[in-house]
Amino acid sequence: MGDYDLVGVEVTHEDNDELFDSLRRSDGDEHLQTLQAVRLQAGTPDSELRSLKQLDEDSVKMLEHQVDAAYRALFEMDGKALLADEVGLGKTIEVGMILKEMHFRETDDSVLILTPAQLAKQWQAELLEKFGLEFVCNYDDEFDGFDAHDYIIASIDTAKSERHRATVLNHDWDVLVLDEAHYVKNEETERYDLIDQISYDYAFFLTATPIQNELTDLYNIVSLLRPGLFGTRDVFHHYFVDSDRETLVNHEELQERLNKVMIRNRRAETDIDFTDRTIDTPTFQPTPEERELYEAVSDYVKGAYSEDQGQKLVLMLLQKEVVSSPAALKQTIEKRLHERSELTHADELESILELIDRIDTVTKQERLLDIVEEARENVEMGRVIVFTQFRATQRELLDRLATEGYTVHSFHGGHSSEEKEQIVANFEEEGGVLVSTDAMNEGRNLQFCNIMVNYDLPWNPMKVEQRIGRIHRIGQKREIYIFNMALEDTIEEYVLERLYNKIDLFQQTVGQLSSILTRLEDTGTSFEDEIFERLANADSEIDLENDFDEMAVDLEEQRALAEKLEEFNSSVFQGFGLGEGND
Amino acid sequence: MTDAALSVTQSVVEQFAERYLNTLGCDIDKQDGRWSVIVPEGAETDIASGQLTLVCSTDPDEVGDEKALHPESPFFHALLEEASERSPTGRVSVTAADTEILLPSWIVQSEVSLEDAEFIPYYDRTALVALFKLSVETVSEYQTELLRAVAVDTRSDEILPELSDTLLSRTLPGQEPIQCGPTQTGPDAAKQLVKHIRATVVEDIQPKIDEVHEAASRSADAELEEYRRLQQQRIEELAETRTSLVNRIDELSESIEESDSRDCRTEALKERRELKAELEEVASKLESHRNRREQGFPEKQREIRERHALEVVATPVTLTEIQYERGEVDFTLANQTVTRTLTVGYGSGVGVTETIECERCGAPLSEANPVRLAERAIRCESCDTPYSIR
Repeated sequence: MGDYDLVGVEVTHEDNDELFDSLRRSDGDEHLQTLQAVRLQAGTPDSELRSLKQLDEDSVKMLEHQVDAAYRALFEMDGKALLADEVGLGKTIEVGMILKEMHFRETDDSVLILTPAQLAKQWQAELLEKFGLEFVCNYDDEFDGFDAHDYIIASIDTAKSERHRATVLNHDWDVLVLDEAHYVKNEETERYDLIDQISYDYAFFLTATPIQNELTDLYNIVSLLRPGLFGTRDVFHHYFVDSDRETLVNHEELQERLNKVMIRNRRAETDIDFTDRTIDTPTFQPTPEERELYEAVSDYVKGAYSEDQGQKLVLMLLQKEVVSSPAALKQTIEKRLHERSELTHADELESILELIDRIDTVTKQERLLDIVEEARENVEMGRVIVFTQFRATQRELLDRLATEGYTVHSFHGGHSSEEKEQIVANFEEEGGVLVSTDAMNEGRNLQFCNIMVNYDLPWNPMKVEQRIGRIHRIGQKREIYIFNMALEDTIEEYVLERLYNKIDLFQQTVGQLSSILTRLEDTGTSFEDEIFERLANADSEIDLENDFDEMAVDLEEQRALAEKLEEFNSSVFQGFGLGEGND
Repeated sequence: MTDAALSVTQSVVEQFAERYLNTLGCDIDKQDGRWSVIVPEGAETDIASGQLTLVCSTDPDEVGDEKALHPESPFFHALLEEASERSPTGRVSVTAADTEILLPSWIVQSEVSLEDAEFIPYYDRTALVALFKLSVETVSEYQTELLRAVAVDTRSDEILPELSDTLLSRTLPGQEPIQCGPTQTGPDAAKQLVKHIRATVVEDIQPKIDEVHEAASRSADAELEEYRRLQQQRIEELAETRTSLVNRIDELSESIEESDSRDCRTEALKERRELKAELEEVASKLESHRNRREQGFPEKQREIRERHALEVVATPVTLTEIQYERGEVDFTLANQTVTRTLTVGYGSGVGVTETIECERCGAPLSEANPVRLAERAIRCESCDTPYSIR
C-alpha cells in the first residue's frame, strides 16, 4: 500500500424485493435463458459505454468523436470534465451519452443541469427524445423546487436566485452539468459563486469558447472544476500567458494539464460534413382583402396594447395569426368574443371577423401549392414538410392539399408518442406532404426529406433552427431547400429580411445560433417581446423600420462577437492536441 | 466463489439467440449467416410478430436494412435485456447421474492414482445459488461491475463453492439445456439465506475493492496536493504583498516625518491609512491561510475524500434453487505397492463435504498437503508416520 491516506468505502446491500417476490409467481421455465442473459450482460467489458447499444439509432446518430469524448469524460477525468468542442460538433449529445450511461449503471441518483434560460426546454426535449431521459424543467408546471425532484434542468439564473439558492446548495448532487460554461468565467459574479459552492460528485461543463475576453477566463473556468490545476492566477499568467501578445505559451505543459480536464474536438478533425442549404424567401403580394385585414388587425393590436398591456400575449397571438391564416385568426377572435362578454373594442373584433369572411383567396395557400407541385414532379416521392405554428392553419392546409389530390400527413402535439412515430414512418413510406406544428421537436429524424416550407415564421429564431434541424442534420445526404413564405409589407417580412437575414439565420452552423442568442439573453433581451414591443410601439412605418434596423444591428454585433470568439479560441488552442487522448 | 460473467463471442451470441428465439416459439431458417425468423402472433416479447431477418455480421453493407446479430448489435442487447428479466428465479436438479464425481484437491495434487470412485446417494438436499451484481464506483475510476455466484445449503447455511461452479458450468449457452422448474423456497427464507451470504460475496471481491480503493486514494491525494500547492502559492503571494505594503508604509512614514509641506503630509497620511487598512486585510487573510495550512485544510480534505469515496453496491439478481444429492463416495486409491479405499461424505455437484485429517499429526488434507499412501495406512504429505486405515 502506498503512503497516501485512504478514502472511505461504503458498502450497500440492495434487497431487490422484486427478485424475492418472483419466487412466488415464477414457473421457472425460462430461468436458464435469464441466467445466461445476466451472465452475458456481465461479460461486456466494464470500461465501455454499455448503454449506447440500447440507443435508438433512428433517434440519435453517434459520432466517433462524441463517443470518445463521453468515454474520456466519464472514465479518465476524475469525474470532472470541460467539454469544449468547437460549435456544431454535438456537445449536448456527448453529455446525453454520459448521462445515459450513468443512468444505465444506476450511478445518477440526482442530476442538475444548468443552462441559459433560452436553452432549458431544448435540453429537456433533446434528452427525452434522443436518450429517453426524463427531466423536469424549472419552467414546467410540475416543478416544485430544487429539493422536490431528482432530475432537473434549470436556468442558472433561477438556480442562483435568492428563492432557490439555498435549496440548490443544500443538495448533494451526483451530477452537475453546466451548459455555456463561459458564463461563469467571472469569479466576482453570483453565478460563479453558485457553481463554486455546489456539492457534486461528477461535473461536466460545456462551452465552445472557454476564452471570452481574456485568457484568465480559461483559468477561472478550469479552476472551478480543478482548483489548483494551474496554481494561482499569478502563477498561471507567469507560466502560460504571453501578456504582450495575449497568447498562451509553454504549450506542452499547458496541454498536459488541460488534457486532465478538457476535451476539445475540432470540426476539421471530425468526419462531420453538412450538405448545402438553399434558401428561398419569396414574398407575395397580398390580395387587397388580405391587406385590409392585416392593417385592421395591426391597428387593433396597437390600439388595444396602448390601452391595456396586460393583453400582450393574446395580442401577440393575433399579430402572428393574421400572417399565418385567416382561419387561425378567426378561431382566436371567435373564442375571445365568446369568452369575454365585456370585451373592449368588441365591435372592432366583429368587423375583423367580417373582413376575414370576405377573403376568398389565401395567397400563401396558392403559392404553397406551386411549391408542393414542383416537389411532386422533381423530388423523390414528392416529400415536403410544411411547418406552421397554428393548428387551425394546419387543418386548413391539410384540407386544401388533400382536395388537390396530395398525400397528406398531419403531425401535432395532440398525438401520443406511438402515433407520432407512425406518422413519421407513414410519411417516409408514402411520401407526399407532412404538415406539422412546432410539436415536431428534437429527436424526430426526418433526414429522408430535404424540402421544408416555413408557412409562417416563429419570432423566436431558436424555433426556426429547430425546424431546420429536423431535416438538416448529420446523415442528410442531399442539399436541402428551405422556403420561407411571407406576405409583402407585413411583420413576417420585417422579421425575415431585417432580422433573420442579418444573422444569416438560415445559414448558421448548427449550434451557432444558441451562442448568439445566449449572448443576447445575457443582456436581458427576449426576442419575441422585442419584436412585439417594436411593432406595437412604432408611431410610423419609418419608425418601425428604424426600430428593426436597430435590433438588427444588435444582432449583427452579437453574431460578429460570437464569430470572433470562435476564431479567437481556435487560434489560441491551435497546436494543442486536445482532441486526442493523453495516452 | 466464482466469476459468473461469460465472454461474449459470436458463437455464444448465436447459440443464445437461437435458443431464446426458440423459447419464444419462433421458427428459424438459417442460410449462410442470414436467419429468417418468424415470430408468432402473441409471443411474449417486444420483438414485433411476423417475418424478421437477422444477419450474423458486423459489416453494415451485408446487414443493409435488416437486423444485425453480433456481440455489439442493439438487437442482441435488446434480447439480453428482455431475457434477463424474464425468469430470475427457478429450480434445477443436480444428480450423480448427470455430473462427474468431483475429486478433492488433496487427491488431484497427490502422487497416488485413483483406481475407482463410486458415489452412493442417501438423501436429497436443497441449496440456493444467488448471482450477485457488484458495483464499485468512485469518481476517478468511474464504475467496475462484477458478477459473482455463491451457493448456500438451505438447511445448514453451509456455503458450497463447488456447487455454484457446477451450476455455472451446466448452464453454458452451447450445452444441452438443463431442465428448470418452479422454486419451493419462499421469499422470507430466501431473504434470510441471501442475508447470510452477502457479506461473503463482498469479502470475495475485496482484492478488487482494494485495488480501486488505492487508485481512488491516489487520485484524492493528487487533488489535495494540487490544492495544497495552490494554497502555498497564495500564502507566498500574500506574504510578498504584505512585505511590499509594509515597505511602502515605512517609506510613507519617513516622508511624513520629513515633509515640510502640509498638503504632502496630508496626502501621505491618507495613503498610509489606506495602506494600513489594506495591510490589515492582507495580514488577516495570510494568517487565516497559514492556520488552515497548519491544520492540513481539514474541510477541503473531507470534501475531496468524500467525493472520491468508494461506493460498493451488492445486488442479488437471480436465485436458482438446486436439488442435489448427499451421500458417501468411495475413493479407491493406489500407489505402486498399496491399494486402499477411502469413504468420505460427498454431495453431487458439491464434492467432498467433510474434512479429512491425518490422525497422527492432525493436519487436514488439502491441496498444499495432499494424501500419501503407506503400508496399511494413509498419511499426509508433510507427515511421515504411517496412519492405520479404518
